[in-house]
Amino acid sequence: MPRYAMVIDLQRCVGCGACSIACRNENNVPEGIYWSNKITETVGTFPNVRYHYIPTLCNHCEYAPCVRGCPTQAMHKLDNGITMHDPKKCIGCKYCEFNCPYGVIYFNWKAPHQFWRNKNSLLKGGTASPREEVKKVGAKKTPYENPERGATLPANRSKGVVEKCTFCDHRVKKGLLPRCAEACPANARVFGDIKDPNSDVSKLLGKFRPFRLREQIGTNPHIFYIRGFNPAQYKQTKGGI
Amino acid sequence: MSAKKGLFSIWMAILGIIILIGLFTTYKLFTTGHVLFNTNDVVIWSLPLGVYIYLALASSGLTILAALPLVFGIGKYEPFAKRLVFLAIATLCGAFVSIGLELGNVFHMIYIMFSPNLSSPIWWMGAIYGLELIVLIVKFGLMHKGDWHSGFSKALATASFILALVAPLMIGSVFGITESRVTYFGPVMSIYCLLMAFMSGTALFLFYSLIVNKLNGNGVPTELYDEFALIFTYATAVVVGFTLLKFAIESATVVPEFLAYHQFEHAFGAIRGLHTEVLLGLFLPFVLLLFPAVRKSVGGKIAASALILTGTLFMHMEILLAGQSHPVGPKAEQYPEFINYFPSIWEFLVFLFALGIMLLLYSLGERFLNLTEAPE
Ligand code: SF4
Ligand code: SF4
Repeated sequence: MPRYAMVIDLQRCVGCGACSIACRNENNVPEGIYWSNKITETVGTFPNVRYHYIPTLCNHCEYAPCVRGCPTQAMHKLDNGITMHDPKKCIGCKYCEFNCPYGVIYFNWKAPHQFWRNKNSLLKGGTASPREEVKKVGAKKTPYENPERGATLPANRSKGVVEKCTFCDHRVKKGLLPRCAEACPANARVFGDIKDPNSDVSKLLGKFRPFRLREQIGTNPHIFYIRGFNPAQYKQTKGGI
Repeated sequence: MSAKKGLFSIWMAILGIIILIGLFTTYKLFTTGHVLFNTNDVVIWSLPLGVYIYLALASSGLTILAALPLVFGIGKYEPFAKRLVFLAIATLCGAFVSIGLELGNVFHMIYIMFSPNLSSPIWWMGAIYGLELIVLIVKFGLMHKGDWHSGFSKALATASFILALVAPLMIGSVFGITESRVTYFGPVMSIYCLLMAFMSGTALFLFYSLIVNKLNGNGVPTELYDEFALIFTYATAVVVGFTLLKFAIESATVVPEFLAYHQFEHAFGAIRGLHTEVLLGLFLPFVLLLFPAVRKSVGGKIAASALILTGTLFMHMEILLAGQSHPVGPKAEQYPEFINYFPSIWEFLVFLFALGIMLLLYSLGERFLNLTEAPE
């Protein structure tokens, strides 16, 4: 059984957000919820400033606090290392969200995709209402929804349960890459089996010294970051007093 | 007598209205969702959860107090035992209402039984409180039938006592084992919850009994209440000591999360840097209780216990909110650095519903179940 992990090459990442858009489309992620997200940081004092961009997603931790705390095993580990959620068992206690050290779990405070439930058209008798548009294309919640997401998780989650990144388990099952990795125009996301020494993931981890988010709390996260984007040059110096 | 009956009917009517409003709130929450709360993906747990912790801990405190006559055989407290057990049941029912309405999908609760996760403190908390409710109800039924001292009845009392000791530890560990929120103080939180449980349970018992006695004109020996007031003073002293220690650690540490926590405006304001709710809801009543004249007067006991009961709720809320005041990880992209929170009307209605259920049970029990009887 493989153990999936992802390496994110920060030197390649240009911060375009294509991963987040692709994720949203693939997983029918509702407004206000982010399965794929980012941490940005501006350091220094003007004019000596830099902007840092770290793409984030569920770390599919080996010792996942979200899984440990879930009272009904709705949040659980798959054999391939993916941290998976089963909304049928979720009581909406939000303990996983409270417990996740990485802020990647969100709660559906209301039924998702509210906009598309609207029955009012902009021009009566002229334009279609959002609800009509959804019906016309034969979708359930949004006209652009991806039914393939429904293979392993309800294509659209309902109110009262949490949701988060699943490493596109439904695609991985079919031998496809997670959508974010596939969509990245800079090939900054490298996905694979960390147990296989010949996988690209393993090779990269042997080549560069990776860091992981909040490593010290012992969750053993499986998103690794390598390198850092920095085109800056500076004149060699020993500093001064 | 008829005037009393009239008052009782009015009281029941008020409670009936509260419960109807509560049922409407339940309907709204299930149909519209928890968007009705002033919560978000940073302040995840809010007033209803704080109320749950508050009531559940008070219920444990009442059960621990009931163990004095029922487990440790202190006979002179037997006239209080039935009421204590009943109050513990009613208070726990209020707690369950509050947490039930906090959950996103209460119908999936069957999976607590069919798909249990034994490493989850929430699972243990639910299981222990569920079991405690059953044990307390059976114990109360036996006492009501006059069976106080049979082996089975005693075993139930012991079981309820042990459950009441463990349950607050579990509530504490729900927070304490959260690696990402160190300001909850790890395992120390469990001890804090146990101490708070005993203090608030004692406060609730004193406050409630003295008010009921005043209304009914019951003549229970005042020395016994004085003894409870002394137990209450000791319980408060321990919480005061613990809170001071907590403050000392909080202010001395340079762990980044604690430094961020310092920046957080005290949820309920501060007087000279000290939390208002701690000063007025813990230190002040403690100082009052140190005066024997206050401790021995009915008014003094009522005032001190009322202050503690109010203060405890605010203290739970302060701790709950302070640990969730800033967004974790990438959520900082979406939310401001610190989050303001004030409960929505629906959250207040959940609180009111929980109180309504509790007060309805108290009133019916007081009226029909002869709560002051003791064995021959
Ligand atoms: S990142 Fe959060 S949600 Fe993902 S496995 Fe780790 S603890 Fe769970
Ligand atoms: S919200 Fe759902 S998945 Fe998360 S801990 Fe509670 S039951 Fe488990």
